[in-house]
Amino acid sequence: MATSEAGRGVSRRTVSVAGQYLVLVLLAVVVLAPLLLTVIQAMSPPFLYVEAGKPLHPVHVDWKERTWFTGGLFSVVARTLLALVVFTWINKALVGWDAASARIGLGWRNLLATVGATVVMAVALGPAFGSLHAADGSSEWWILGAMVLVSATLVPAALRPGRSPGAAVVESLAVGSLVTGAAVVFVGGVVWTQAWSSARLGPAMARSMVMTVSITLAQVVTAVLAAYAFAFMRFPFKRVLFALFMATLLLPLEVTLIGNIALIRQLGWINTMPALILPFTASAFGTFLIRQGFRGIPPEINDATRLDGYGHFAFLTRFAVPLTRPVIASFTVISALQAWNQYLWPASVVSDDRYNTLQFQLRSIIGNNVANANVSIAAAMVAAVPVLILLIAFQRQIIRGLTAGAVK
Amino acid sequence: MKEVGLALTFLAPSLIIFSVFFYLPFIRLLDWGRYKSQRGGLSYRYVGLSQYREILTGPEFTDGLRHSVLFVLYTVPAGLVLGVLLAVAAHRPLKGIKIFQAIFSSTLASSVAVSSVLFLFLFNPAVGFFQVGWKEDPDMALFAAALPSIWQNLGLAFVIVLAGLQAVPEEVMEAARLDGYGPFRRLVRITLPLISPVLLFLVVVLVIFGFQAFAQIQIITNGGPAGASETLVFKISRQSQNYGAGAVLSIGLFAVTLVVTFLQFVLLERRVHYGDE
Repeated sequence: MATSEAGRGVSRRTVSVAGQYLVLVLLAVVVLAPLLLTVIQAMSPPFLYVEAGKPLHPVHVDWKERTWFTGGLFSVVARTLLALVVFTWINKALVGWDAASARIGLGWRNLLATVGATVVMAVALGPAFGSLHAADGSSEWWILGAMVLVSATLVPAALRPGRSPGAAVVESLAVGSLVTGAAVVFVGGVVWTQAWSSARLGPAMARSMVMTVSITLAQVVTAVLAAYAFAFMRFPFKRVLFALFMATLLLPLEVTLIGNIALIRQLGWINTMPALILPFTASAFGTFLIRQGFRGIPPEINDATRLDGYGHFAFLTRFAVPLTRPVIASFTVISALQAWNQYLWPASVVSDDRYNTLQFQLRSIIGNNVANANVSIAAAMVAAVPVLILLIAFQRQIIRGLTAGAVK
Repeated sequence: MKEVGLALTFLAPSLIIFSVFFYLPFIRLLDWGRYKSQRGGLSYRYVGLSQYREILTGPEFTDGLRHSVLFVLYTVPAGLVLGVLLAVAAHRPLKGIKIFQAIFSSTLASSVAVSSVLFLFLFNPAVGFFQVGWKEDPDMALFAAALPSIWQNLGLAFVIVLAGLQAVPEEVMEAARLDGYGPFRRLVRITLPLISPVLLFLVVVLVIFGFQAFAQIQIITNGGPAGASETLVFKISRQSQNYGAGAVLSIGLFAVTLVVTFLQFVLLERRVHYGDE
């Protein structure tokens, strides 16, 4: 009686867990659908004359890269490295190997999965690409072989104690073949290099990079200085000045757009870097956020350093900034994301395609030529890669920054 | 005294930038609104406040405002519902849940321009997977421009709501479970009220994004057909050669922003549960 009850409880729990996973997978498919469909579009050149009226479909994937190094930052070599980094990260997440648990969890199994599988994939992709170049019909076998090899390396890590071998093999096969397949699609497809060169993404990306780094650095410096003054210093009209800072939040770029465009024209700065950077070198949001961080420093620390004879500048650089590093890091990443994704302002002060930033460049390459649709789509996806890397590398900071105003 | 000087030095960079690129343009806009441009912006004639009345009651402003509000209505409720749905689904102690969380927040990696280009071709009448002519349909054009925003906001909404859910103490949910509350009642009666500050924050952010929408409209519809998807910001950007009318529209947008911000905090703040305050 008792055992059958328990058995029913277990099976009901199994069903409920399976149901939860089913819901999650369905939601994941819905979220990723636009992305998956557009990847297919990017991989399939439209044959308008043959298949008029039919959507893009992956009937013919052109694999042949000219050489491994064409495409600059987006050459096959760079892409292979990127794929490997992403793969290592996925592996790390899967086996739960992070710095904190490294001491406890780093057995030879996890090491084999993270390092070994990455090396195996790097080696196995070589002949797979080689066969694509040779186009001798053996590609499928090389790709399948690579998938099996990578999956096999993952099995020992998936075989944790108390785990059925079947589940471990299924998990390794799923991860191994998915990641290897993705690597082949993203590294092997010629359309990415095509998009990179024909859309001139390189120079546009470089300009966006310069703009983003300058804006972010400037915002962090000006915001830290202002926040320090508001948090730790006494001066007349402090409240008025703080209100003046915060009031700029009511003047978004959209409101002052016409006035700012006029100003840039009068300065003769159309199509120049200063026009893209200078208006954004101060941030009221950042000042507020970092001031809140500074206020969290216990006053005793401030008093103690004063007694030790530290001046404001020494306290700022040696105590205030290091102690609020998480807040400043979050703001840095958020500020960089915003700067990188800017569209309206570059669209307003750049009149010559040669000075486009990346986001605005995307618009000028769309054109009306649907025959190039797959290249435009590929260009858009390539444009998202730097942010994807940022997101993966600074996940915690980004999420903390985005939710800074939401959760106390 | 030395401290005052140092404080001003620390504030100076921000103050200069704010004066030159925030306050100065804004004050000039207030002034320009009283001049009407002649001969395509080559000269201006003083017309006083009459231009404000003329434009702010005319179709240029009211249509733009209507489209902006519609855009907000398309994107904000969708973002809120999707955010809550995804966050509730992914806030549970399952194995591998981190992977699903990463997938749900992945749209953060796209920018408005990127997602707009993707959706532009996804719904292209000739080569898209969904071959619909929404771009050319006056009733659907604005919605077509809102789709990439809905998709792109989804990651942000998910991340924000999930952070809110994770801050809800486990004991509260356990107590509700012991009181015999089912999952749905727990969500509606306990979880949502508890995370209402987070939801308020999300609504504020999404409304701001909605009113700022520009790239998606320029890329997907370019305002068309026949101005059916021109939002207020889009109309302002089209007036960059006509400082008089552009200034009035900008001041109009400023007033709308003020009213919306005020409304959000007065109306929503009252319904929000802030815990022990």
